[in-house]
Parts: sequence; structure tokens; C-alpha cells
Amino acid sequence: MKAEQVVQLIKDYVKDVKVTNERRVTAITDKQHYRGALSALKANDILHLSTITGVDLGEEIAVIYHIDCGGPLLNLKLFLPKKAPSLLSVTDIFPGAVLYERDLMEMLGVDVENHPDPRRLFLPEDWPEDNYPLRKEAKK
Amino acid sequence: MSFVVPIGPQHPALEEPEHFRIEVKGEEIVDVDIRFGYVHRGIEEALSKRTYMHGLFLAQRVCGICPVSHSLTFLRAVEEIAGIECPDRARYIRTIGAELERIHSHLLFAGIAAHEIGFTTLFMLFWRDRELVLDLKEMLWGNRIHSSETTIGGVRWDIKPNQVPKVLHNLVALEKEVKHYIDVVASDRTILARCANIGVLTKQMARELCAVGPVARASGVNWDIRRDDPYAAYSEVPFKVITERDGDVLAKILVRLREILESIRIIRHALDAMPGGPIRAEFKGHVQEGEATGRIEANRGELLYYVLSKGGEKPERVRIRTPTYANMPTVKPMLVGGTIAEVPIVLASIDPCFSCTDRITVVDRGTGKAQVMTKAELRGLSK
Amino acid sequence: MIEILSFLLAYFVFPGLLFAGALGLLFMGIDRKVTAHMQHRIGPPIWQEFLDFGKLLGKEDITPAAAQGVVFTLAPLIALGAAVTVILLLPINSAQPALTSVADLIVIIYLLNIPAICIMLGGYSSACPFGAIGASRYVVQLFSYELIFIVTALTAAVKVGSLSLGSIVTYQVQNGWLAFKAPLAAAAMIVAAQGKLLRVPFDIPEAESEIVHGPLTEYSGPKLGLMRLAYGIELFAVAGLITALFFGGPVAHTVAGVQIPGVVSFLIKTFAIVLLTTNIRNIAARLRIDQAMKFFWTIIALLAIVNLIIVVL
Repeated sequence: MKAEQVVQLIKDYVKDVKVTNERRVTAITDKQHYRGALSALKANDILHLSTITGVDLGEEIAVIYHIDCGGPLLNLKLFLPKKAPSLLSVTDIFPGAVLYERDLMEMLGVDVENHPDPRRLFLPEDWPEDNYPLRKEAKK
Repeated sequence: MSFVVPIGPQHPALEEPEHFRIEVKGEEIVDVDIRFGYVHRGIEEALSKRTYMHGLFLAQRVCGICPVSHSLTFLRAVEEIAGIECPDRARYIRTIGAELERIHSHLLFAGIAAHEIGFTTLFMLFWRDRELVLDLKEMLWGNRIHSSETTIGGVRWDIKPNQVPKVLHNLVALEKEVKHYIDVVASDRTILARCANIGVLTKQMARELCAVGPVARASGVNWDIRRDDPYAAYSEVPFKVITERDGDVLAKILVRLREILESIRIIRHALDAMPGGPIRAEFKGHVQEGEATGRIEANRGELLYYVLSKGGEKPERVRIRTPTYANMPTVKPMLVGGTIAEVPIVLASIDPCFSCTDRITVVDRGTGKAQVMTKAELRGLSK
Repeated sequence: MIEILSFLLAYFVFPGLLFAGALGLLFMGIDRKVTAHMQHRIGPPIWQEFLDFGKLLGKEDITPAAAQGVVFTLAPLIALGAAVTVILLLPINSAQPALTSVADLIVIIYLLNIPAICIMLGGYSSACPFGAIGASRYVVQLFSYELIFIVTALTAAVKVGSLSLGSIVTYQVQNGWLAFKAPLAAAAMIVAAQGKLLRVPFDIPEAESEIVHGPLTEYSGPKLGLMRLAYGIELFAVAGLITALFFGGPVAHTVAGVQIPGVVSFLIKTFAIVLLTTNIRNIAARLRIDQAMKFFWTIIALLAIVNLIIVVL
């Protein structure tokens, strides 16, 4: 698949698409549309979610879905307010997201709803509840 | 009545500590739960507190088997943000380094797999031949595994003409042995009894669970980042992507052994076709604002680094997703329905590297005290 | 009085504990050395087992709190005792063993099971999941090889018409080795011995990459030392039994004008059988318990039973 084709597939669900080179596409979406974009990709036999990255940007938390589109890599970004960061799980679209979402939950405190198994992944059981290690406040 | 067998965190079957909670009825496995985090070292956090050069050394040490892969991926992202073009000769040398690492890693895996099925002789023989590759790495770059030959902008040392004959000589010896091993593995009755039709991952499952690397290719998924998203000199070097159809343990072993033969071909071609010229582009220490996602086909599969820079000498955020992390969800479908006797070999067949998987988070064991200590340590270490 | 003394001498010195123990450990050491060379490495010196045994005896004797202490402690001792007793019943020095009884072949088969049972008891009593799994696998494996072992031993006895080892040896002196007359049984017995001695491909009960050390996981120090000694003596005993039954036993030969005493010829043949098992263990992977059982109950059982029928008819 070419970068242009990827852009065509998701154009209804994103704003601000950047094609950095023939194999890197970055697109910004939001909470209402991200699932639409992911479903559109899946409907075209794009099944590989490489990973989900979370970044603490101060007031917001950025969630980036990195998706391999058979050649180009799509970085689908959305921004969540840090006060109430929540989104729906995508494990129904990409079952391979199951561990990455747990990672996002425990490291950045993003509330992923409908996750089939919302346990901690890397942190030990006795780690305090509201301490999210990859958030900026965690580093005092 | 089901009975829970704990495997790990300390267990002879595992090189690194993990905990698998396996529920069995008799000898049949009913459910699998994986807990990791035993070797998390706070690397993602640490990388955002160090300069890029310092971070490169840290990234290499995420894994004790694939340091070259980690450097290459980190550099792929950083060099893209900084707009640095690696010189041609350096790209070829990086390719050679990456392929030598692939060979040594696959031989290590093959030895461990043989050990897991009780075939100690084969384990010893694989590791004996692995020495051929480690000797080459030592000759070329001074260290057997953590060779640190890649640096921002290129490589540190050139490959001199008088080193090439020894490389070719060892590769010839290695190729002969690996061809013999492929015959042995595909035909020995006891190996077949322990590996054929065990731990099967169907192509459908592999794609759905987003499996990567030899694990996915053994199930028939024809995907290799060296071909589909090339880096270093891979777009100029011809090679085959090896796949198998059955997705069982035997397929996973054969895929890796055959990849060794391909790696040998790649190294030979690269040595032959390597252009002259400089081996390093300049890097002044700071990187402009931007973000990039670097990914390569590491020994175990797709390795991904996402780097976000807000301009300056240190990255704002580095996200590492290692191939073993990606392959973790595939362990459960491979094990359920099988027996306990298969657990070590099935686990080994995904070539797990838990050092790679566990590398994110701040501190090791969560008590307030440990947090302060680590923070102080990090402060002391970062400039 | 003399009889008691000579019995004690036989039990503890020759051919009993001291002799069999030393040879057993030596054979184990040579097995390790040969294995190492087959794997293209150097390996430990051949007296490594003696050093290990001495070291283990000097360590702290620990019994896990949750274990059944009495059974746990007695298991190695009984295993050792049984193994040494078997040695006394083997014709090592001459056609007559140190101890004779009417049907000594049956007694030997019975006694040779005791070390296995002791290891199982040790595993079950150690309150460790690996111990329990290892012990249960051992039970399954026992059902696999034991029948073959008995059938093949009986084949030799039927051929000769006597259950006494002395008679079997004497018969072979006159008529040639039973291995040539009942080759299938001899082959089957060697494979069964591989299972009895827990050697690859049949070392499932002790599969270290799966269940740590199986039934012996919780054993350490002197108890482990005694278990290993018992294993060495069992190795010697089983190989010795095969030698006596099928390969002529302690028969004096004259080779190139040199008189080789019976005991030396016995040792050489026993050693050859041990080397054969070493060879097999280095060129195969470990089988799963169900695969091992299938293998024994189909192919090997067939060999053994066919030979028994031939011999009976």
C-alpha cells in the first residue's frame, strides 16, 4: 500500500495529515473519530498495530497509534485532557492492542474503557494506585 | 480439578525472570497468565534525561543479545529528526553489523531450544559455531556482543581490507554447519517428536494478535521490515524473506536457521558492494524539534522506537516497543491445549528476551524509598 | 562367625559398597567425560563424581519444613541399601555370586525397583510441586519399561531353564553368549535399561529444563550425595545384570597368551554397556512421557514378547 492510499482511507476521520516521506504518515484525530479511522484501516486488511505510545505533554496526554500499513507506517495521534484522560479500548478492532493499552493505563493513567483485562502489566502489585510513572508529576 | 504450575520467576527453562501462571488439568494446559516486570529498569524514563549520545549507549544495553538492533532503531528515529544522512559506506557497515548480530542471536536461540528439549549435544554444537561469529565481532569491533560500532551519523570503525578474508572464511565454515543443522532438525525423530505440531500459531491468529518477526513468518505471514520499510543498505542488497506454513515450533526453528543462511549471503554481498568514502556524518549534539518513529527488523522481529524532540540535547520522550513485547499475547493460544512438557520449548520458540520487554517504568520495586533513591541516582548521572 | 564377617566384608567392601560405589562413581565420571567429547568440549575429570560426593557429604543437611521428614530421610538410605544388595547377588568374581538364593533373578528384579520407588517417595514427600510432578512421571515411566525388563530377563531364564544367575552364567560358558541366541531380547533390555536409569531420551522424570530436578529437587547435601551414590551403584548393577544375562558374565578369557581374570572381563563388558547408553543419550532429544510410553508399549514390547515366544517354542 502506498502512503497516498493510506491518506485516502482515513481522510474522513482525521484532520492535519502530514506525509513526511513515502513511508511515514502522521495524522491527527480526536476521540470521536479515531475508532472510525482504525476500523477503516482494518476493513482494508490492515491488521498490524505496532504499538501505542503515550506522551505527557503537560496539559494534555497524547496517544499515538502506530500502524503498519504494509509499507508505510501511520502514526495516528489524538490528544486527551490530562484532567480526564479516557478513551475506548480498541481491542475489538485490533486484538493485539491488549498489552499496549494496559501499559498506557498504568504508566500514564489513561482510563481505557471496556478493556478485557485491565490489570497492571509491569508495575508490581504494591505500587501505589495513583502514581503514574511516566507522567511528569511523577518526577518530583 | 485444576492445578496451578508456577513457572518462574526463577526457573531453569527461563534465561530471564518472568512469571507464568499455568493452570493445568492433569498434564493438559487450560489457561496461561503472564506477569512480567521483574527486570524493569526505567529505561524510557532514563532516556529522556540523557543526551542523545549518552542515550545511545543506554539504548544498546536494553538487551544483552541485540544491542546493535536497539542502536540502529534509535538512530533511525534520531537521525530522521535531526536530518542527518548517514554516509553510504557506513550504511553498509551497519548492515553487516546487524546481520552478524542476527546470526549470533539465532544460533543462541537454536542452542537454547535444543537444551529445552533435552538435546544437550546439539545445544553445545550450536554454541560452538556461534563462537565463529563472536570471534568476527571481536575482531571487527573489539567486543563480542556490545560492540557499539554504530554511532549518531554513522559508524565508529571502518572494516579494513585485511579483515575481510577472515570474515569470509568463518562464514564459509558457518554456512556448512548450518546447512547440516537444518537437515538434522528437519529429520531427527526425537526432535520431530518434540517440535512438530507443538505450539501452533495459525496465520490468522498471528495477524490478529500483531505477532512480529520469525514467529509471524513461521505462521506464513510474509512480512519483513528489511524489505517493506528498508533501512541501512537493505534496499540495495538482495535477500529472501523466509516463511514457513505450519506455525509450529519446528517451523519457528527452521525459519531462524534459514535466515542465518540469508544473513550470510547479505554479509557477503555487502562486503563486496561496499562503496568507499567517509564512515561518519557530523552530529553537533543537539537535535531540532520534531518527532520520528524508527523501526527495524531486529533478530526477534519488529523493534520500534518513537522519539519526540522539543529541540535541544535531550529527547523529550522515547518509547520503545520490543519484539518480545509484541509477541507476548501469542503465548497463550500456543500453550492452551498442550501439555506442561511443552511449555519450555514453546516459550523458547518465541525467542523471548525479557530484558527487552520490561524496560519501561521509573523504579524497580515500588516503595517511597526506592523512588527517591533512583531519582537521586538519575540526577547524579544526567548532566 | 566367619560367615558373618565374610558377609560384612562382601557387603561393605567387595563387591559391595566400597567396590560398587567406587566403580559406579567412576563409570558416571567417564560417562561425563565421553559426553563432553561428543559435544566438542573438554568436560570434567573422570573422578569428578568422587569430588562431588565428598563435597555433598560436607554440606548442611536440610529437610524442608513441609516435607514428611522420615520418608524424605529414609528414601536415599533404602535406595542405597537395595542397590548394594543387588550387587551382592550378581556374579562378579565368578559364576557364583557372593550371595545366592534359589531364584535370585526374581529377587534382583524386585530389588532393582526399590531405588526407583525410593526416588518417587522422595519426590512425593518433599512437598514441592516439581517433586510431585516428577514422581508421578516416574510412576508412568515405571509402567513403561518395567514389564519389558521383566520379560527380557525371563527370556534369558527360560532359555537356560533356571532362575539362578549362576546357572545362566555357566550355561553361557558352555553355549556362547545369550545375546546371540536371543538378540531381540538383549536389544530390548538395553533400551529398557535406558529408561530404568533415567537417561535421555527417557529422562522425563528428571527433566531439568522443565521441572528443575524432578523428584530430587528438594534434596541437598548428604542426602543428595547418597542418592547419587545409589544411582551410580544402580548404573553398575543394571549394566552388570545385562552383562550376566546376555553377555557371558565374569568369564575368564585368554587373549594373546594373557590370562584375563573373570572379574576384569566382567568389568570391561559392563563398561561397554554403560558406554552404549552414554552414546544413546547424547544423540537424541528427550521424549515426552506419553511418547516414551507409546514407544515402549509398541516397538520394544513387540521385540521382547516375540523373543520370549521364540524361546519358549
